[in-house]
Amino acid sequence: MNVMNAFSTPSIENVAHNDDQATQKETTPNAYVRMEDVGHCYDPTPDGPMAVQHINLDIYRHEFVAVVGPSGCGKSTLLRMVAGLLIPSHGEVSVFNKPVTEPRDDVGIVFQKPNLLPWLTVKKNVLFPLKHKYGHVSLEDKKRADELLTMTGLASFADKMPDELSGGMQQRVGIVRALLLNPDILLMDEPFSALDALTREQIGFDLLDIWRDHPKTVLFITHSISEAVLLADRILVMSKRPGTVLDLIDVNLPRPRTAKDMNSTRFCELTETIRGHIYEPHSRA
Amino acid sequence: MLNFVRSSIIAIAIGSCTAAMAADHVTFQLDWLPGGDKAPVYVGIQEGFFRAENLDVKVATGRGSTDAITKIATGQADIGMADIGALMAAKAQDDVPVSAVAAYFTQAPHAFFVLSNSGIHNIKDLAGKKVATSPFTSSNAFLPLVLKQNGLSDKDITLIKADPGALGPMLMTGNTQAIIAWVTNTALYKAQAAQAGKTITVLPWSEGGLSLYSSSIIASDRFLSERPEVAKRFIKAFEKAVVYTYAHPEKAGEDLHDIVPEVDPKIAAAQIHSIYDLVYNKISQSDGFGVLTAKRLTTTWQYVAKANDLSPDSLNPEKIVNKAFMPTPN
Amino acid sequence: MNHTPAPKAALHAPQQSHNSKTTASGVKQWFKKQGYRFAPWLFFISLLILWESICRLGHVPTYILPSPSSIINAFFNVSFSRWMVHLWATLRVALLGFIVSILISIPLSIALIRSELLNRTIYPVLVVIQSTPVVAVAPLIIVLMGTGDASRVLITCLITFFPLVVSTTTGMLETPQELIELSQSLRAPRYRETWQIRIPYAIPHIFSGLRVSITLAIIGAVVAEFVAAEQGLGYFIQFSTSFFKIPQAFAGLVFLSAISLLLFKSVHWIQAWLFPWSLPKKK
Repeated sequence: MNVMNAFSTPSIENVAHNDDQATQKETTPNAYVRMEDVGHCYDPTPDGPMAVQHINLDIYRHEFVAVVGPSGCGKSTLLRMVAGLLIPSHGEVSVFNKPVTEPRDDVGIVFQKPNLLPWLTVKKNVLFPLKHKYGHVSLEDKKRADELLTMTGLASFADKMPDELSGGMQQRVGIVRALLLNPDILLMDEPFSALDALTREQIGFDLLDIWRDHPKTVLFITHSISEAVLLADRILVMSKRPGTVLDLIDVNLPRPRTAKDMNSTRFCELTETIRGHIYEPHSRA
Repeated sequence: MLNFVRSSIIAIAIGSCTAAMAADHVTFQLDWLPGGDKAPVYVGIQEGFFRAENLDVKVATGRGSTDAITKIATGQADIGMADIGALMAAKAQDDVPVSAVAAYFTQAPHAFFVLSNSGIHNIKDLAGKKVATSPFTSSNAFLPLVLKQNGLSDKDITLIKADPGALGPMLMTGNTQAIIAWVTNTALYKAQAAQAGKTITVLPWSEGGLSLYSSSIIASDRFLSERPEVAKRFIKAFEKAVVYTYAHPEKAGEDLHDIVPEVDPKIAAAQIHSIYDLVYNKISQSDGFGVLTAKRLTTTWQYVAKANDLSPDSLNPEKIVNKAFMPTPN
Repeated sequence: MNHTPAPKAALHAPQQSHNSKTTASGVKQWFKKQGYRFAPWLFFISLLILWESICRLGHVPTYILPSPSSIINAFFNVSFSRWMVHLWATLRVALLGFIVSILISIPLSIALIRSELLNRTIYPVLVVIQSTPVVAVAPLIIVLMGTGDASRVLITCLITFFPLVVSTTTGMLETPQELIELSQSLRAPRYRETWQIRIPYAIPHIFSGLRVSITLAIIGAVVAEFVAAEQGLGYFIQFSTSFFKIPQAFAGLVFLSAISLLLFKSVHWIQAWLFPWSLPKKK
């Protein structure tokens, strides 16, 4: 296994940059993940209902984009398309201007539930993606796992079993596991929704710290409006099924953000706007 | 090294050859679990009758006559014992490659068992009484015939069916006035009755007019054609074992117990005493031990055909016997 | 896998400290605890006493209902070496059938999970095999395969493999879909998805299947012995019944149940030893 320096910029970026210039055409510069008129229908019949449709979105490198919308609006569908786990039936998803046609391994995924393997210790859970992908882990990999655990304050739990940890701790391990392969894209599917409110806020700030120190392109799915505003650079607001883009909002709150920001006028305006989008009649079209 | 291997292979080969030459292996199939009535084959092993004929005999237990016939037909055993009626019925419907070679019981073992104080002294007295039997016994087929010979029909009795193990207790507790069982089990029922402070009386069907062959020695046709000398030697030794068994029931019980430790030697001896008449009777005296006569085979077949609802023409009863191996009357 | 026994110790710790807190309630607690521990035994023993007294006072003959004392007597009347001969015969067939069953069921379950075609073609056949009463087929198997161990092992297999297939496939199917997606996103080889995710996830299910199967294995061996055997506890019971030795048959039956229970517990111990994480958590 090629051991990357923990958080170095992957070399793939340069390649992509060249690609970018070569095929520049009408593309926005620096667009990293791009969705062009993306739609998906799970039903193979020609007139099957669309889960999502007409999604156009450019995500920039190391940008934090949150997706909010009512349940069942196809947020997770979007995430799976970026991961390459799902190929859209309409339109195209591309990363570095290359269409996504198969599962990508430069993405890290954090799920709603921690989904740790109950038979492995915390450290082995963190190392699991490597073990699973390559069949073995090297000493360097173990060192890297230790670094990540230390960074997230989990070092003392390394040899514990998942069921000895609280829900919040388990989800932290889930995030560390997603970071192990040093992915450039971090996909998070309602990662904190199973946690209690206090833990949820704390782990959100922890995530921002990690993201600040080790920038990644983040696609963060949530049904919490305030969470989206607190964390994201931009927020994609989706309508209910079939999911379409209702609005794309620039958050423009200064970083680093703290709990105090939640009392600011800007914060309240934003949450109001989003709430308006979701509850206004036009969203039911 | 190679020489060593080669010579040891040869040595083993010679060893196994001489072992094979030392004694002929014969598998003897019983039609039920070991008991006093199955003693002769064990006596043959323990008393050395088989060894004297250069035979190495292995005994396999069975689960009924049909089971024994099937196992012999499929080559899992060479020779064994089963009810000749079952063999006739099997041969009439399907030409199984099994033949009878000698008689063992020249009378039917079926009987009614009643409590001695019940006032039932013969089969005719059963009119209007409750009779219990087990569901799968071959006796059931002969029941209408024996009733008819005693001037009764199956409407004159109330027949109830129960597990074989329940019959004894039912009789002792008065749930039924009579049970149908084999005289081979007389000793067992007597012991059970004694425990309840009662005595029982046996009414054998052979004394009630049912005169036929029953348990016989049968062998696979392949065994008889491929190893006729072994078969002849086996039958000769078996005959000696039968004589010894019924002359020394106590010793026979011990012999059986030595091979099958679960068998109580005293009960086995009592069983042997109680079935003496099935082996040694007027028939065996006049025809000679082990002989199956054409006349009695025909009578037996008539009963079997009637009992099993088979056409009397569907079998020539003499054809089921391979006379070449039958003991000669002395 | 190295598992720390620490959590178990932690679970018991509070109880102990509670005991030593106040002596009065501690004594009460102690009696309560001992009561819980011995209640099943006390109940069992009183049941035996009741049974014994009914047999004695009611003069119930042993061929109707043997008393516990007559069963115990019968048990010790059979020599230890004979018990071992019969036990070994039954245990050998049951365990061999059980192991063969595991060796068949687990790969079969993996195949069923991985191939929709196999699932559609083989599963109905499995259901047909399962719904055929083995007791009815056993004599045919003996005819086809002879009276040796092989046919008894096959009969045992037929009776034990289905619960294993069902539990293994159920367990593998209950693997969280998200972990399967994780595996797909890593583009890991399919066999690692099976071995590193699906099979371990199925362990709790596999073990409940194993617990059902091990008791069925004993039943299978006994059914086979009823059809053809010269040794074994099933044969011993049948034999005792044929001689009207009812207490002896009961002794065989009690011994057989004890062995079944022991094997059942052994499966649990093996699970606790090899896969402690797979046991339900005590709260």
